[in-house]
Amino acid sequence: MTDTPPPRPTPNPDYRVNFFRPRPGYLRQKVRYTWVLLISWAFFTLGFQFLLLLTQDTPEGDSLITETILFGFPLHYWFSGQFLIVWFILLCFLFNLFVDHLTRIHRQRR
Amino acid sequence: MPSEGIKLAPALLLACILALSLLVGLAGRTSKGAYYLVSGPSVGRAGIGAAIASNWMSAASFLGIAGIFYLQGYMAFAYVVGWTGGYVLLLILMAAQIRRFGKYTAPEFVEARYDSPVARCLAATITILITLIYCTAQYKGIALVFSWIFGLDYTPSLLLGTAVGIGYLVLSGTLGASRNQQFQYGILILCFIIPLMVIAKNLGYFWILPQLGYGRALCELGQAPHHLSLAPWTSGTPYEWIALCFTLMVGTAGLPHVLSRFYTVPNLRDARWSVVWGIFFIGLLYWSAPVYATLARIAQGSTPSPTDPEAARALADLIVLKAGEWAGLPSWLIGIIAVGAIIAAFSTVTGLLITGAGAFSYDIYHRLINPAADEKKRMRVAKGATLVLALLVVVLALNPPWLIAQITAVAFALAGNTLFPVFLLGIWWDRTTKQGAIAGMLTGLAVTFGALLLGPLVPGLGIILPATSSALIGAPLVILVMIGVSLVTPPPSEEIRRFLAEEVHAP
Repeated sequence: MTDTPPPRPTPNPDYRVNFFRPRPGYLRQKVRYTWVLLISWAFFTLGFQFLLLLTQDTPEGDSLITETILFGFPLHYWFSGQFLIVWFILLCFLFNLFVDHLTRIHRQRR
Repeated sequence: MPSEGIKLAPALLLACILALSLLVGLAGRTSKGAYYLVSGPSVGRAGIGAAIASNWMSAASFLGIAGIFYLQGYMAFAYVVGWTGGYVLLLILMAAQIRRFGKYTAPEFVEARYDSPVARCLAATITILITLIYCTAQYKGIALVFSWIFGLDYTPSLLLGTAVGIGYLVLSGTLGASRNQQFQYGILILCFIIPLMVIAKNLGYFWILPQLGYGRALCELGQAPHHLSLAPWTSGTPYEWIALCFTLMVGTAGLPHVLSRFYTVPNLRDARWSVVWGIFFIGLLYWSAPVYATLARIAQGSTPSPTDPEAARALADLIVLKAGEWAGLPSWLIGIIAVGAIIAAFSTVTGLLITGAGAFSYDIYHRLINPAADEKKRMRVAKGATLVLALLVVVLALNPPWLIAQITAVAFALAGNTLFPVFLLGIWWDRTTKQGAIAGMLTGLAVTFGALLLGPLVPGLGIILPATSSALIGAPLVILVMIGVSLVTPPPSEEIRRFLAEEVHAP
């Protein structure tokens, strides 16, 4: 966090807002968190379906994963039907913690 | 579905609960006749979360998911995951920023960001189309449940349900009743979970938390191959699953009536944290819906009636009620589920019709047709538009070929193909221009309706672009179109870019 926000009255201010090239400072840190969360969101949601596809033994998708029983459920039912919702709640929780933290730091600095 | 005449206990329950929520609404009445936005004393983050959930829960959640699970097994989790994971996208990419824009509806945001009446009009038209499609699914649910309660055919039930719904809307509007969302969430979730516990108990499964304990029932179903195959891709390919799930997620993040939730919360930090509660409260319902379908299959197995696919399809959208019947629940207890479904559908329809009518009255009528119209006149137009939209929906719902959840998914595809990219790029790329937004929305409309209307005609199109799941290809395509058009058109004004950088993305 060596970056300081750009000074307000400048002759050529930086208005750039770009998710892929965010301005240094608050926005860049926030976008970094957002990327981490987006990747863990996609990895668990869609990645698991790819895993099912990669490991399948039959066209219907039967595999070692679907035959494993966890907490009484076939693993893929437990993962998609129960765990993912918990995972989403956790992601939102973490995001809020991050943003609270960032806001505290940058509000003090202003 | 002709049945055995009126069921007295459920009918009485319905009347009682409607009267009760009217009374609760009157007790919480605000002095200013806020037409639909909730105001009043602070209710805390959990309370706001309950409001988010009650606003969200519709016939698609209440009846639709269980119906899909009953027919298609694992495929139904695309709906469950899509409709909860969408909130993650909404929260981390858009919620706070849209709120900082200070615009209450999708058309207003579009006008503020892109400074273009044409784009605003287009956004309003899309809002109205989403309203129509989404409401069609709700009306189908209302009609099915009314036909179950009153023993009428589908069409008379549809008309009766519409009449009761509009009557209720007008009555609560004239009396100035506010909607107490926390009360409504409580009613809804109890209506869903208590009968489920009794069903699980009757069938001899773990009933204290059936959501955690239905694994054994599921495994038993898997062992009887004629029931329900537990393999993931029996009712849809992996592509279909992923396309549907993605579509519902981006659709959730772009739905106009979901976005407007964030404005009724006094401060931004509470709004963010309330989403965590919101997903939890929505999750309670989505953890439970597959249990209904599983237990319905189990209970059905013990009755002699063989099921052919056509009959199963006709039953699917009422499977939560059928589960109760087959498990031998008393009529009044099944009635509780029916009442919950009606309440969920009514409140969703109310919210959507008002959003759609507002889009017509403020964004199309006032902007284009009669700019001189005063507040009173616009209000009259809004009320008229509510009625017209309601009647249009009745016509659409007369003979819908699809299941409730599938019709709803089309509305999500439309939102994901049009409003989601417009919001996303509008917030995260200052260079997005009005021409880009307009081109994007037009492309999105073309993709959605192309998939819907041409899908059955053009061979192969229905496989790549299913009507319910067109946003997996549509949304990225629209984003590319918007970027391309924006790069060749002059950049937006410095004023809006400065606002975006300094206010919207401020710490």
